Amino acid sequence: MIERHTQTLEEVLESCRPAPPAKPNILRVLLAVQGALGCVPVAMVPRIAQGLGVTDAQVAGVLSYYPDLRTESPGRCIVQICMGESCTANHGGRVLRTIQDHLLIDVGETMPGGRFTLERAYCVGNCAVSPTVIVGEDLYGRVTSSQIPSILEPMKK
Amino acid sequence: MKTTRLYLANDTSARAAGAGRLADAWKERPEVQLVRTSARGAFYLEPIVEQDSPRGRLAWFNVSPNDLPRIESGLDGTLVDSIPFLRQQTRYTFANFGVTEPLALDAYQSQGGFKGLAAALNMSSAAVIEEIKISRLRGRGGAAFPVWSKWQVAQQTEADEKYVVVNADEGDAGTYCDRMIMEGDPFRLIEGMLICAHAIGATKGYLYCRHEYPAAAATMRTAIRKAMEEGLLDLNGASFEIEVVIGAGSYVCGEETALLESLEGRRGVVRAKPPYPAMSGLYGRPTIVSNVLTFATIPNILARGGAWHASLGTERSRGTIVLQVGGRVKQPGLVEIPFGRTLRQVLEQFGGGMAPGSRFKAVQVGGPLGSLFPDSKLDIPICYDAFSDAGAILGHGGIVVYDQDTDMVELSRHFMAFTADESCGKCTPCRVGAVRGREILERIQAGQGSANDFALLHDLGDTMKAASLCALGGRAPYPVLTAIEHFPRDFQTKLPAFGRQQ
Repeated sequence: MIERHTQTLEEVLESCRPAPPAKPNILRVLLAVQGALGCVPVAMVPRIAQGLGVTDAQVAGVLSYYPDLRTESPGRCIVQICMGESCTANHGGRVLRTIQDHLLIDVGETMPGGRFTLERAYCVGNCAVSPTVIVGEDLYGRVTSSQIPSILEPMKK
Repeated sequence: MKTTRLYLANDTSARAAGAGRLADAWKERPEVQLVRTSARGAFYLEPIVEQDSPRGRLAWFNVSPNDLPRIESGLDGTLVDSIPFLRQQTRYTFANFGVTEPLALDAYQSQGGFKGLAAALNMSSAAVIEEIKISRLRGRGGAAFPVWSKWQVAQQTEADEKYVVVNADEGDAGTYCDRMIMEGDPFRLIEGMLICAHAIGATKGYLYCRHEYPAAAATMRTAIRKAMEEGLLDLNGASFEIEVVIGAGSYVCGEETALLESLEGRRGVVRAKPPYPAMSGLYGRPTIVSNVLTFATIPNILARGGAWHASLGTERSRGTIVLQVGGRVKQPGLVEIPFGRTLRQVLEQFGGGMAPGSRFKAVQVGGPLGSLFPDSKLDIPICYDAFSDAGAILGHGGIVVYDQDTDMVELSRHFMAFTADESCGKCTPCRVGAVRGREILERIQAGQGSANDFALLHDLGDTMKAASLCALGGRAPYPVLTAIEHFPRDFQTKLPAFGRQQ
């Protein structure tokens, strides 16, 4: 799995290498790797560190810190439910339970077969039309439980 | 064929409310010319469709695709200027919202855009900073620090490079005014950055935008490119470069020093202050970090004068405050008014009362670290001093109303769990304190708490307030302790002893 991407990783590292004496920006490198490969497997940390001339710990530290950096590939479609205060006050919890019942997975899990990954978001700034559900790149406001099947159905294909 | 020009917002929330569906449905109609503007901020009415009339813009609310014939006839529209939610506001920073196309540079200029920059470029650095001092503008991101003071320190500190950094990591739940500015009036933000760069002698600008705001980042990138092509970024003989950098999901990166660490590519861990970023910030250089709204307030101050800004608001809170009223209210939306009106007035005048089926229980002001207010405390004036005296914060202007269905124990647990999740780990009171706080609240929730747990939470809260490095740990106890103070019954009924006492 990792070997298949070998060339790409080296290419990404090369494209992120700053002109000396500037130091490499580890976060941006990891985001670029994730952009190219879908995730940053922990097993890649030593090669990234070596490629950048920093320690393994520096890379692993950044990788584990940021919630957006993934060490495993998510499902083909990421479903997010906002759990900000406005969405919660407007019964986002009920919508979450409906999604869980519909997809039969819990928050943080991916469906067997990899169709959907369910995640929690913390405020996407859509509070005035909350609760909010994001499916892939589409954002839905004022979502009710009864809308969930029709929101998720097109993505099942 | 007669064509009808219709205005429809392209803001993320307007689209989520159905504006995108309207645009799709009507794009094949040859007689409809759609102009995609910024949003009015009256989100409870979205999707809103507007049309010109001799009396001003007419609006139709909560529009569905089938409403087109009705709108084209122009018959039953409402004059935008007569909508109470908008008429009762004092819009300066948000004056263009709903009016112009966000990326139309000529429209921004025809509304007075870049006049502030032109005024600043005719002044010395010191004179610009003096104007900001006269305006008495305080940072709008939460800390409310006097803006001129930071600028003066950065201006007076010698360095080979200086930076202007926009904090667009608007992480407080219930807030979205920074997102609206970036999506809806991007040149205003760029103008504010340029005035700051001119005042302190900065060579480069960064916009650190959270990844949850893809449309805002895309709009800003296009606006920066357009401004550059028009030569608007040429500052004192050199080109001021602005780079958009996307964050990676860490709430604490909205704290200025954590943000700088993240910009440099490291873990977003808070730095001990001093030195303050104005003296030693990004890569150890003098750096002004302010949020989007603060920079967007600057152009008007330079165009109209600092005294104009100081004439608005209350003694120590000058200018306007941008509130985002939400939760279980009838009319969620964005409100710009001078400081000084009470929280109750805002909830009634703008919030329009409670949503159908809801009764008021509590309101939280200032995001997940903000204090909770019960009905009896709503007559507090909205200004920095009154809130500070009450142990509360205005934060970034987020207002979330909770109804009778809200369980304060669960809400408190949510806040402590949030801090535990988001703590950067640098200081012990926050890193360990938030976990202990969450555990105590989980114990109470599970019916295994004791009266002693409240003393423990207070004790823990005192430590976190006094000894945390930044506002995340320092403010985290407030929502929990105000929930216990104002809604003790929610907690007491969960204690095992409660059943026996009855």
